[in-house]
Amino acid sequence: MIVYLPAVLFGVGLLVAYGSAGRRRQTATLAMAAAVAWSLALLVDPGATVWAVGPLAAILLLARPAERARSNFEGLTRRGLTIAASMLAALFLASRLPIGENPVLLSAVPWFLGAVGVAWFVSPADQLERLQGQVLMVAAVAGVILAAVPAGALTAAAAGAMALMPIAGERARVPGQLRPAVSSLLLLLAGVAVILAAGAPSVGRLSLLDLSLSLTGPVLLAVAILLVIGVLASPLGSEWVALLGVLALAAAAPSVRWPALAALVATATVLERRGERPAWMAVGVLGLIPVLAALAASSWSPRVQAVALAFSLVLILFAAGTGLLRVLALPTTTFLVMLAVGSLSVSQIVRFQWIAAIGALLLGLRVVLGRLMRRTEGAGVLRDALVMGLVLLAIGARDSLGLGQLAVVLLVIDLTLARVGDIGDAAGGLVARVLDLARSSWPPAVTFAGATLAVVADLEASLALGLLAALTWAVLQLAPLFDGHAPVTAAERPRSAMRLVGPALSIACGVAPALILRMLRLSG
Amino acid sequence: MPLALQALLPPIILLFASALVRLRPRHPANGWIAFGATAGAAGVAMIELLYLSPGEHADVPYLTTFPYADVAIRLDGLSLAFVTVTLAVAALLMLARLQMRGDRREPWLGWLLTSAAAGGVIMADNLLLVYVVLQLLTLAWSGALDETARRRRGLRLSLQIADIGLLLAAASAIQSVGTSAFSGVPSDTFGTATFLLVLAPVVIRVGALVWGLSGPAASVVFEPAIAWVAPAGYLLLRLLALMGGQLPDQRIAVALFAGGALMAVGLAALAPWWRAGSRLPALLLSTQAAIALALSGGGDPLMTVASTWLFLMLIPLAGLLSISLPRESAAHPLSRVQLAIIPSSVAFVGVWLGGLALGDRGLLLATVPFGAAAVLGLIAVSSDLRVARSIRLDVATVWAGALLLLAALPIVAINPLVLPAAATVRPVPGGTMVASLLGIRTAAGSWPALLVSLATAAVLGLAFWRLGGVLPLRLRRRAPRRPGLSWRIPSRLPAVPEWSRLALWGAFFAVVGLVALRP
Repeated sequence: MIVYLPAVLFGVGLLVAYGSAGRRRQTATLAMAAAVAWSLALLVDPGATVWAVGPLAAILLLARPAERARSNFEGLTRRGLTIAASMLAALFLASRLPIGENPVLLSAVPWFLGAVGVAWFVSPADQLERLQGQVLMVAAVAGVILAAVPAGALTAAAAGAMALMPIAGERARVPGQLRPAVSSLLLLLAGVAVILAAGAPSVGRLSLLDLSLSLTGPVLLAVAILLVIGVLASPLGSEWVALLGVLALAAAAPSVRWPALAALVATATVLERRGERPAWMAVGVLGLIPVLAALAASSWSPRVQAVALAFSLVLILFAAGTGLLRVLALPTTTFLVMLAVGSLSVSQIVRFQWIAAIGALLLGLRVVLGRLMRRTEGAGVLRDALVMGLVLLAIGARDSLGLGQLAVVLLVIDLTLARVGDIGDAAGGLVARVLDLARSSWPPAVTFAGATLAVVADLEASLALGLLAALTWAVLQLAPLFDGHAPVTAAERPRSAMRLVGPALSIACGVAPALILRMLRLSG
Repeated sequence: MPLALQALLPPIILLFASALVRLRPRHPANGWIAFGATAGAAGVAMIELLYLSPGEHADVPYLTTFPYADVAIRLDGLSLAFVTVTLAVAALLMLARLQMRGDRREPWLGWLLTSAAAGGVIMADNLLLVYVVLQLLTLAWSGALDETARRRRGLRLSLQIADIGLLLAAASAIQSVGTSAFSGVPSDTFGTATFLLVLAPVVIRVGALVWGLSGPAASVVFEPAIAWVAPAGYLLLRLLALMGGQLPDQRIAVALFAGGALMAVGLAALAPWWRAGSRLPALLLSTQAAIALALSGGGDPLMTVASTWLFLMLIPLAGLLSISLPRESAAHPLSRVQLAIIPSSVAFVGVWLGGLALGDRGLLLATVPFGAAAVLGLIAVSSDLRVARSIRLDVATVWAGALLLLAALPIVAINPLVLPAAATVRPVPGGTMVASLLGIRTAAGSWPALLVSLATAAVLGLAFWRLGGVLPLRLRRRAPRRPGLSWRIPSRLPAVPEWSRLALWGAFFAVVGLVALRP
């Protein structure tokens, strides 16, 4: 009987939260988080309850107004339907993915938290509830994965702490006077990561108690790229968000990796809402992968995992048009998927390739259709869509030479670093020409190197993929005609010499991609 | 001097001169620096070629910056012959430009970079590097850092897209044998599909002549000879060399011959009806390129020599035609003589050799298209031929005269340039061809070049003297529509309904579902 009490507590909390305001609602939300912690204690281990520290602190930080938000019939209906549908979906998933022989109502509690988060995010009563929804979704991702893949206390605490990140994303900015120091530190860390990746192949793992960081060559390279992007391309004061991506890439435990990614997406979408729904869908699907690996039947789990990897990548590429989603969520997710693809079996990689190929077509056609539908906003830039398509195809290649991974790294650099800010007008003469070159498809721009290697890698994988990659590369050469002088999608940053670093890096990577390949292959 | 440095000398000279020109814009000496550097680079390449033993080749690796595209130079008869001719023609074009007055633009930096890139294409040691440098070459001649720039946009994009064929060929080699380096690719690596893929950039470059050489807008146009003809010929011959000198399939060889011959006849047939002076040189030059293309697939060493001769000689001929020649100058009729495939033109030597090879194999009938192309070309040329009013010793006149001399004394080019290049493409047994001052002797027959050229010169001189008043011969012309290769995106595209977006996503979700459910 006691095993049903967390579900009862959760249900009571949910009813009170929907029916009240102010402190009572906050208490009810706390009760829901406590119910999840209780269920984790019963499902996994009492030590896992430290997960709750993060969500509880986040809920406490989000004080609710005493007055209820004004509502109408349509709004109430929508909210009611949303919560009902998401709770049903959560119950369905919990029943399909049972944890041992525990009753479904017990193992469903972490899923319910996610359902509430989704409902508040999709149909919020106000902006604060939307933020609460994001907090609960991040907490639920951590909770569900912890229930499926048990971890130590420190790992659980770190996973739970990710629930604080949406609030940090809304409120925390690096102060102006500290920004140079923070930027320098991040760049220094990036430099160290590059040196380690290039010269020390077996850094391996760093562990603090039960919390482990995996630092192989590809991870170090990805970390370095993320740090540089964080400094050069993220909005002012948000440089620290890159550390979430770093954590997602380096964390060995899935219960930290995917919540960190969820926290990154939450931080990215807390202010900039464009593309938030597909991005969250991608996070949800990616978060399912370790759960499927641990709990689902082996007859169908591997194939769904492969499909989930590809599908979520397509979604994140679709969502990542501007802002932090573009500059941080996109590379983090791409690198995570790239690293995960290595473990797929031959038959599963074919599934991945299918969805990658169709996704590549979808991304390009979406832009063309957007133009044909006379959309002035949201149609996107064809060049970006085609580069994203090549990213998908290159990840799907998984060739023995490692060229696919190399192409992915180069194309991600192109998507995030090469097009930083509108600096052509500020610079004159030779500098302007170099910047034009960095953003073009000519050699030695990184786009050229990435696309060329993607074609080679895809042909290595299969003739059809190779031809599709070649076709995409051919259309990419025509894309400037379609796009014209499309605006560069990047955050506003002050004009400084730092703005030249991105294009310079992109040309450097385009000139000598073999160095990057060396980093990827060392202990890769 | 170490080989690694020797091999690098031509590009170093060109890049050093580029830096010098870049540092001193509008300096009066820039033109001479460019000319001197390019001529020097051509001279170095020529010396390297002369030092090369028959059949010898050297691969000089430098750096690995791009995976499977090591920066490495290939020194063999084919690459050195092509680079020598290309750089020599580039130098001559620069010299011609130096003598032109009135054009105040300074093309030297672009021309030097184009020459360096063309040299890079020819000397690159692997297919992937060739692809990379080809893109640099297109960037160098077009100068279109801004990819939306309108200048020759259609042509530039066509070349870029066609070059992907070469990339696919390189990728196919990497997939098959783990490298695309010329030394590491066995001759059976490339199949029919790969050959056709590489043929795409060649054909587009030959086609580029038709659109790109329509009467020079500038006083001297650099790209037809250096950026289009030279790489096209080299690429085809290099691919044949990688295939051991013969095509993977006899049917492909027949198709290539038939396609080239038909193209030659078609282009030559268009020429008489075109507006004189505009596209006529381009059409007739393309005709010769098509003949070279047709002969290249032949399974006979003599045909390989013939096509190598034709491709090599196309470069100086395209260069000569890239100079704006006044109609009253002597260079104009001399250049037109070279366009017609008649005795005393360099093209005729190649066609004759090809004909001998075909005749030896009992395929004399196959030369009929070449004859037809020659007749049509002659008709076209006669409509554009004028008697020179003055003989001035300018670069173009000397150049055209040198080509006449080359047709009369082919030994000058055959022994140092053509035979080493052809022998790289496929083994040319000793005695296949012997060149002397009087002409060429082969097992299938001979060509008394000097005698025939003198006789033709006498006949032409007489004809000019007697018919000078009626030249150019007037033909009935239609006013052709001027074809343009311009890629324009319509300002208003047809609208599609909103639900098409849902259909797109629906299809995607359906595929995802199918892929997930399929066991």
